Amino acid sequence: MSIAYDQTLDVKGAKCPMPLVKSRKAVNELPVGQVLKVIATDRGSVADFQGWVKTAKNVELLAQETVNEGGQDLFVHYLKRTA
Amino acid sequence: MTITEGQTAVAAFTPAELYARILRDEPLFILDVRNEEEFRRSPIEGRTNLTTVNIPYFEFIEDEEAAAARVPTDREIFVVCAREGSSQYVAGVLHERGYQARYLEGGYVSWGNFYDVRDVVAADWGRIVQIARPARGDLSFAVISGGQAALIDPMRHTEVYRDLVAAAGATLTHIFDTHVHADHISGGPALAEETGATYYVHAYDAIHPIDMLPAVIAYTHVQEGDRFQIGAVTITARWFPGHTLGQVNYRFDAPDGRSALFTGDGIFLRSFGRPDLGGKGEAWTPILYRSITERLPRMASDDTLILPAHFSTLDEGSAEGIFAAPFAEVRATNDALRPRDEAEFTSYVLSHLPVFPPEYVEIKRVNIGLVTPCDGTANELELGKNICALSNA
Repeated sequence: MSIAYDQTLDVKGAKCPMPLVKSRKAVNELPVGQVLKVIATDRGSVADFQGWVKTAKNVELLAQETVNEGGQDLFVHYLKRTA
Repeated sequence: MTITEGQTAVAAFTPAELYARILRDEPLFILDVRNEEEFRRSPIEGRTNLTTVNIPYFEFIEDEEAAAARVPTDREIFVVCAREGSSQYVAGVLHERGYQARYLEGGYVSWGNFYDVRDVVAADWGRIVQIARPARGDLSFAVISGGQAALIDPMRHTEVYRDLVAAAGATLTHIFDTHVHADHISGGPALAEETGATYYVHAYDAIHPIDMLPAVIAYTHVQEGDRFQIGAVTITARWFPGHTLGQVNYRFDAPDGRSALFTGDGIFLRSFGRPDLGGKGEAWTPILYRSITERLPRMASDDTLILPAHFSTLDEGSAEGIFAAPFAEVRATNDALRPRDEAEFTSYVLSHLPVFPPEYVEIKRVNIGLVTPCDGTANELELGKNICALSNA
């Protein structure tokens, strides 16, 4: 997937709720309009990020993808700070 | 907002405590912090005094103040999430704000995999033990007599059954599946391998009804009239096709004249097993009709205890959580068993079919050995309560 992004957040190995807690913090530090790529190993993050952006005030979920890296599933989320 | 990894200030509660409170119908406020989709698929259900509110944990991350304001301050809050972490986080947030809050140890997964074990009958010839998975509405049984044990419809966590048999000082000799289950993964084949006991299932169920592929597990074909001696009691296989083509009820006879019928998904206390999970609802409904109207009366007398493989709501059971009733009572109170002619029966069935959960096709594959899931996948396949009965709505 060719989504342009500005920063990367690696939360591999982090369990719920930490992928989302750290993403929230990283989005807060992101300039408005920029995109954060989050890489997680927690499968639950896929549905949780979809639910989160519905209630979040300034975050848009541009895309999600699952990539397999060395036998391990990585769940990748592209978050844009909108305001 | 102060968040650290691994908050530990808050206390946990166990699935066993949760179930004990639910059975006693104590006032219980559950704050379910999973996402809405998971919550809808598998809410924790109680009797009359359980209140559940779903506020996903990310709403606490987004706006702690607003989310906390939706939680009552005048009672203890039982926080639940999928795997523990988020409920521990939310319980910590609430705790810091002065709430009385605890989180479910192991999350919903541990509730889904919680087993409740209790005697249905204890007599001088031995015992019938009910092994329930309350979250799923799944029931299985052990018959123990004369140092021997038989299991009916054992579930995936085989250590529960091995421990039970060992504690009774018995040897497991027979494992009966009433049918190849669609809603949960059987522990039968694994237990047979672990203990050397024989695993029995009807051969008609050893073919996947949708894939049309044969089982690759080791099993012994059981058929109408087969008799088994377990210590002082006799178990007889009674074919009851309809829910599946190979559904078998097991008739239990004790030396004191007591009888029971392990009905699997043949009939339940308030309903009966839907005939469409093999994808052949229209063809199997007439077969089920004949099983209910012609075969069932020959398998059970008024005082025969009906012991099914599922319940849909807790009020089907006793205050102690035993799901059993004499056949006369089931006949009188089970609206699904009301006398109907075949046309009425067919239209009743077709108008009361719940959704067909897509994972049920895969679970049947698992149960005849066509696929082998890891623990995580098994937990996902088995998430939520069974939908094997016709709906009462």
